[in-house]
Amino acid sequence: MKQPLISKPVTRSGSAMERSDLSSIDRSIRIPVLIFLASGVFWLMVASGFWLLASSQIHTPTAWWTFPGVAWLSFGRAYPVFLNCFVYGWATCAGIGVGIWLLARLGRVPLRNPLFPILAAATWNTGIAVGVLSVLFGATTGKQMLEFPSYAAFILFLAFVIVGLWALTIFWARRPGPTYVSQWYILGAFLWFSWMYSTANILLNFTSAPGPAQPAINWWYIGSLIDLWLTPIALGTAYYLIPKLVCRPIYSYKLALFGFWSLALLGGWTGMTHLIGGPFPAWMITASIVARVLMILPVLAVAANFHLTMKGKLEDLGWNPVLRFIVIGAMAYTAYGLEGSLISTRTIAQITQFTFVTFGHAQLGLFGFFSMILFGAYYYIVPRLLERQWLSPGFIKSHFWFSVVGIGLLLFALTIGGLIQGFGLQDPQISMGAVSDLIGPFLLIQNVAVLLLVLANIGFAIAFALILLISAPVRRRSAVIESSADAPKKIAPEVTVA
Amino acid sequence: MNRLTGLFFGVFLLFGLSWLALAAYPYIAFAGLQQSKDEATGALAPLGNPGTADQGARVYAANGCFYCHSQYVRDKHEGSDIERKWGKRRTVARDYMFDREVFLGTSRLGADLTNAGDRQTDSQWFCRVLYNPRAMTPESVMPAYRWLFRTQEIQGQPSADAVKLEGTDAPPPGHEVVPTAEGRALVDYLLSRKKTYPLPEAPEPTE
Repeated sequence: MKQPLISKPVTRSGSAMERSDLSSIDRSIRIPVLIFLASGVFWLMVASGFWLLASSQIHTPTAWWTFPGVAWLSFGRAYPVFLNCFVYGWATCAGIGVGIWLLARLGRVPLRNPLFPILAAATWNTGIAVGVLSVLFGATTGKQMLEFPSYAAFILFLAFVIVGLWALTIFWARRPGPTYVSQWYILGAFLWFSWMYSTANILLNFTSAPGPAQPAINWWYIGSLIDLWLTPIALGTAYYLIPKLVCRPIYSYKLALFGFWSLALLGGWTGMTHLIGGPFPAWMITASIVARVLMILPVLAVAANFHLTMKGKLEDLGWNPVLRFIVIGAMAYTAYGLEGSLISTRTIAQITQFTFVTFGHAQLGLFGFFSMILFGAYYYIVPRLLERQWLSPGFIKSHFWFSVVGIGLLLFALTIGGLIQGFGLQDPQISMGAVSDLIGPFLLIQNVAVLLLVLANIGFAIAFALILLISAPVRRRSAVIESSADAPKKIAPEVTVA
Repeated sequence: MNRLTGLFFGVFLLFGLSWLALAAYPYIAFAGLQQSKDEATGALAPLGNPGTADQGARVYAANGCFYCHSQYVRDKHEGSDIERKWGKRRTVARDYMFDREVFLGTSRLGADLTNAGDRQTDSQWFCRVLYNPRAMTPESVMPAYRWLFRTQEIQGQPSADAVKLEGTDAPPPGHEVVPTAEGRALVDYLLSRKKTYPLPEAPEPTE
């Protein structure tokens, strides 16, 4: 070991030569990365539609918008279509696009063969479209988060193999020098996802796993999907963008390393905490609970590291929308991690298991944490890729506030409603119908919250479409930062150019 | 071995541990489950599912029933499932050995269905709930699964499995509502949901 394993990211790309270097890298990956980012926005819109449909059906089962008699618009199909579009369409496309961009940036190499990733994007989108149509027509596998039938899963896997090889090639061709923790997270995420997605599909959908093993494999997969695919992508992004945005190296590399390895160790074990009391050997459940409680360690390591890196720089939040999204996302990660540990202990799970509390927790992770960080990354990356600026600070601002208020309201409704539901279920004197009545108002609030989030997503999509379609010349500083009148006069050039 | 090789090995090895324990192990171990044999009577338990139940499981999946209904009973000290009369004992891996598809479920917006076929033994009851849940439980938020039924003109004698519907749900005179093949399979599946036999590893809790 001759050099430190990870070092500070290049926050001071001082010379003009290095800057032009970075933009030549950006130009080389522009098309494939933009295709993935745009696919993400497209599927986010599809997901939003089904999200609004499902969340408005759940409290008023007789309303006209339940479309009585129309199977493919019913809750049991709209809900999985929403989740799958959200995770594989939005989150995964965005994650691939941002992850590849980060690897190219940090490896400081331009991309040579853009054709393969473009092919991968086309294949991936085909897979999702096939999967969504299959679920709508009732050809689901019945395994949560793996609803897409084997043929769609196979298409998706093919696409991901190309993506994974693409990522590895970029990493291998990187310029010699120390690697940064973001590269670890992103690379780990790509390796883990190809493993979890292929083995889960092979075990469950290509071969027939013995009945009692199916839920175990299914929840091993879901836990890994959240903790070892989405989480490392978002953390890798935040580890790159936070130091960039506040112009400081990350506070502690040791802490970053510790966070990475403890996540790698624990991430695969957390899913089965959703099945406490289920028909499994006791050690499987106990090990999962222990892992989920220990997840406090990587969560706190990341939280402390981000906090200490940004210490004293929080006033930047006032004018830097990218930082705002990232900071809210990072805070949501801490909350998500701590809540996850809490609701996985046996005592609390007795109440919260099977209730909307777990739905709220999942949304805190998917939207509050992952999506917020990725939104921030979009706002940072897209202008650099296109060498354009965001046209519409209003859309960005409303995207942010609708998202924050929406996720807050959603969390409130699902957590409080879920707790009432949990205490109701716990008391055998209270009938199931009475429990439904008790949580009715909260399901309505939940619907309003989802509406806010859908509006936020639409604002995001419009901003994205505008920057794609309308060419506005770059000014010296990017529009995101200039959008606010409070922007300080002197802004370090590396924030805007690199 | 340089540190990057270490990174790759570490990434695979650490994740591999969870894969071995939570995916590979149950896949192999649960394939070897055997029926239990009662010492006194020689009765085997559990027994396989009747013919159309497996097709019904497909309908159960296709319509997303498992997003709101669970199918397992927790032990007495882990929740109120037994007090709610969702089962007399907890369920264990062996209970599911004949189910080709297992839907444990993680939400209980609806009732647990582990023993649905024990609580209700009449296919009429299930048909009426699926056709209009509010007719049976006014507060229910369950969707109505109308596409599992069809309205047809009565030819001679009314069909044996015609659904008895009242009020606004009743079909026009001279017509009847019958479950489609899918609907019938789903009802068979629900009727097959009963884990009432004793198993040595899951005794009924005593006070």
